[in-house]
Amino acid sequence: MTRSASCPPSPEVKAFSITQRPIEVTPLRRAVLDDTCGALVVFEGLVRNHHEGRDVSALRYTHHPVMAEREGLKILSETLARFDITHALAVHRVGDLSIGDCAVVTLTASSHREEAFAANQYLIDRIKFEVPIWKYETYLDGVSEWTAPCPRCAAGVDHRH
Amino acid sequence: MKALILRGGQSSRMGSDKPSLSLRGETLLDRQVNLAHSITPDVFLSVAFSDKGKGHPVPAIPDLEESPGPLGGLQSAFAQDPDSSWLLIACDLPRLSQRDLIRLLDTREGTDVSCFLNPIDGVPEPLAALYHPSAAPKLEAYFQGKNRCARRFLQGLCRNEVKPLDPQALLNLNCPEHLFEFEALHREKITFKEVEVEYFAKLSAEASCDREQLRTSAATVVGLWEEVRLRHHFSLELPQIKPARDNEFIPWDTPLRDNDAISFMPPFAGG
Repeated sequence: MTRSASCPPSPEVKAFSITQRPIEVTPLRRAVLDDTCGALVVFEGLVRNHHEGRDVSALRYTHHPVMAEREGLKILSETLARFDITHALAVHRVGDLSIGDCAVVTLTASSHREEAFAANQYLIDRIKFEVPIWKYETYLDGVSEWTAPCPRCAAGVDHRH
Repeated sequence: MKALILRGGQSSRMGSDKPSLSLRGETLLDRQVNLAHSITPDVFLSVAFSDKGKGHPVPAIPDLEESPGPLGGLQSAFAQDPDSSWLLIACDLPRLSQRDLIRLLDTREGTDVSCFLNPIDGVPEPLAALYHPSAAPKLEAYFQGKNRCARRFLQGLCRNEVKPLDPQALLNLNCPEHLFEFEALHREKITFKEVEVEYFAKLSAEASCDREQLRTSAATVVGLWEEVRLRHHFSLELPQIKPARDNEFIPWDTPLRDNDAISFMPPFAGG
């Protein structure tokens, strides 16, 4: 998923992929767009410097070598079947990330914005809780741990952090 | 010797009252009462402090205080008869058999208790054990120190330790999925399988390995999970774990086959 910017969009771009390298959005953007698209929603999930009140200094993602992509692809095809969108695509980065790095990106393209927004929300929510990817956070106080997702987020309960 | 049946706690993870759970045509409570009767005619039921003692299949012994935990049952039993040995039998151990319980009776001189060692982690089991009168004053001292943990109390006693003949004798029913394992063991009898178990993220950190080979008598994936959970003292419980085989998620009741490679995954946390 690290096609250079000069590379033309091609149908070979996998709908879901895992990458060790920084995510470049521009080539992904071109891979999901065609002339019928009136709307493109791009969500970028970034590494922030705090988690549940603690200061985060670094972060590492690990993944299941086979099932992460397979489960991601299932979610992508279900998103396409469920919403009136033309294309959808997602990339998740793994390995060591720094504050501000892009950890995940989801793109949904459609004729109209409503469906593109709704599909994108659906896609990122499912990727977060159903793809076998794990997060190991290191805090400024020197402690490191595997973090569990917020149970209310995982259950889809409407709430604020 | 007298026997005391422990009803167990709130059964919150099971979602229904464990003693009245019906397994193979009889409730767990009736099963344990019958089992105890095969060892001794004097069988009692440990009940809550507020229980009036009516409507039970055997005479009841109420706790001496509110929610003292399983040791509270033993405390009340010794208060009623300090000169008897007391055989404690928890309701949620559905594979305990007369054949194994009888082995607790071969006591050694000078011991406070005769107990089973869990075949999986070698830890003494406090809730299927024969406590002798010498344990009574030690229990009083333990309670006065505000301690209630049954496992730790047992560790402080002089023990006669017995290995159960049935490797699954101490199978514990704590959640509905555990019934899958119980039923499968009952259908298939005990067979040993060689399996490879793979761990991810927090589980591999807690197990200090990514994968391991195990010889197990578990019949289903849930049985294997409980075995490795005990072995590695995993901090996560079954509802948080997803099992997989051949890169596909599988249900907890999937039968275990020889040479299976099973993965256990903690909660996902992408994004």
